[in-house]
Amino acid sequence: MADADTTGLVEDLFRRESAHLVAALTRLLGPSNLSLAEDVVQDALLRAMDAWRFGAPRDPKAWILQAAKNRAIDIIRRDRRLARLPELESEWTLPGAVASALSPAEDAANQLAMMFSICDEALSPETHITLILRLLCGLSPAEIARAFLMDTATIDRRLHRGRARLQGLGHLHDVSDPRDVCARQPSVLHALYLLFSEGYHGSDAENPLHPVMCSDAIRLAELLLASPATDHASAHALGALFCFNAARLSTRLDDAGILVPLAAQDRAQWDRALTERGVMHLAGASAGHRLTRWHLEAGIACEHTIAPSVQETNWARIVALYDELLAETPGPIVAMNRALAVAELRGLDEGRRALQAVASDEKLSGYHFFWASLADIERRAGRPTEARALYERAMALSRSPAERGAYQRKIALLED
Amino acid sequence: MAKFTFIFHGGAFVTPGLSPTEMQEHLNKWHAWVATFMKAGRHHVSQPLENRGKIVRGAERIITDGPFAESKDLVTGSLTIEAASLDEAAVLARDCPIYEFDGFVEVRPILELER
Repeated sequence: MADADTTGLVEDLFRRESAHLVAALTRLLGPSNLSLAEDVVQDALLRAMDAWRFGAPRDPKAWILQAAKNRAIDIIRRDRRLARLPELESEWTLPGAVASALSPAEDAANQLAMMFSICDEALSPETHITLILRLLCGLSPAEIARAFLMDTATIDRRLHRGRARLQGLGHLHDVSDPRDVCARQPSVLHALYLLFSEGYHGSDAENPLHPVMCSDAIRLAELLLASPATDHASAHALGALFCFNAARLSTRLDDAGILVPLAAQDRAQWDRALTERGVMHLAGASAGHRLTRWHLEAGIACEHTIAPSVQETNWARIVALYDELLAETPGPIVAMNRALAVAELRGLDEGRRALQAVASDEKLSGYHFFWASLADIERRAGRPTEARALYERAMALSRSPAERGAYQRKIALLED
Repeated sequence: MAKFTFIFHGGAFVTPGLSPTEMQEHLNKWHAWVATFMKAGRHHVSQPLENRGKIVRGAERIITDGPFAESKDLVTGSLTIEAASLDEAAVLARDCPIYEFDGFVEVRPILELER
C-alpha cells in the first residue's frame, strides 16, 4: 500500500471502471444477468473503497479489475447456469476466460455492444439516454434524476423498462454485424446527442452545465470512431459537433454562475486542442455520401468556434447551413437560431422580421431566450424602452438565477 | 504521547446504492483525513477489514457466519494513532468522514503493559 497523500486517484476512476466492467460482465454473462453484473461491479467498487481508505494501491485500476474478476469467477463456480460458454464450464479454463473477457483490450467492443443494445427501437430516446447514463457512464438513478430535474422513482421506472428489454436479448448486439449497426446507428447518435446537450444546457436550470456528460458523450462518440464497423461519416460529424461546443464550455458561465452571451465570452480561453479535434472529425465527416443534421450542426458550431470575434464570423455560411438544417430537421428552435444569424448577416431589421415570423410558435413564445434575443435586437437598434420590456418578459419566463442574472445585467446596461 | 485506537463502525462501507462518484469522493475524504496524521508526524497503523467473517462463540465453540454487512454498526477497520490524551484523540476522530454515511468511531486508549 502506498501512502495516501502520495497517491491521488485518477478523476472519475470509479465511474469509468464501473462502465467498463458492467459492459464486460454483461457481455460475458449475457444480458439476462445484467443485474448480477451490476452487483458484481458495485461489490468490487465497495471493496476498493473499503480497502483503500488508508492508502490506495499502486495500480488502482488493476486492483478493481482483479476484485471484479475474483467475484465473477466465484459466482460462476457457485451457479453453473451462468457458464454460458464452454470455456466457463471447466475449472481449467474459467479464470482465463473471465480474465480475457474483462481485459482492457475488450473495453471498446464491450461498450459498443452495450451502446447498440441499449438503443433498441422498442425503447424511447429518453430511456436510451437514461440507460446510457446508468450503464455506460456509471451514474446512479439519483444522479440521473438530479440532472433531469425528475424524481428518482421516474428514473427507476425508465431503468426498469430498459433493463427488462435488455434482459430479454439473448446476447448483446455485436457491432461486427453490419445489419444491426446500420439499423441502430442513428438512434445511438441521437442518444449521444441528447447526452451531450444535457451536459451543455441541461434541464437543471440551477446547475445547467454538466461537463462530465459532455466528456462522456465525446468519449462514447470516439469509441464509435475507433471501430471500423461504426466509423461512419455521421459519427465523425457528431464528434466534431461535440468537440466544437465543448471547446467553448468553460466560458459559458462566469464566476458568479451567470450565463455569458457568445459575444461577451473570452475567446482566448476556448480550448484549442478540442477545436483541432473538431476540425479533424469534420474532415472525417466529409467522407460520407449523405449530409446529416449532425454535419450541418457541426458546420455551424465550427464557424462559431474558429471565428476570432462575433463581427468576423462567417455569417453567410452559417445562414446557409441553417437554411439546409431547417429543410432537414424543421423546428422552431432552428428557425429562431437562423433568424439570429440573419440579423448578423443582413441587419437588425431583417433579423427582427425573421424572429417575429416565428413568434406565434407556442414553444418559442414560452421560451425566455426567444424574447431575450428579440430584446437584444431592439437594444442594438437603439430602442431601449422596447428592449427593456422584452428583457422583463424574458426574465419572467426564465428558470434560474443564472438566466435572470444575465437579463438583469442587460437591463442595467440599458440605463448607462 | 499515548496510543489510541479508532474503531470504525458502519458508514459508507455498509451503505447500499452509493454511486461510483460518491464512493470515490468519499474515499478522497478518507485520504485527506489520514494525511493529516502523517503531516502532523503522528505515528499511525491502519487496518481495514473485509465485510465478511465468522463468529466463534460459546462453550461449544460454535462457528457461524457473520457479522453481516447489513448490520449498521459493523466494525469496518481500525486506525491506531498517537495523541496527548483521550480527549485530544476524540477531537481528532471528529474529522473522520465516516459520519457522512451514518457511521461512528469508537476511541479507545491502548493499554500498555510495560511502562
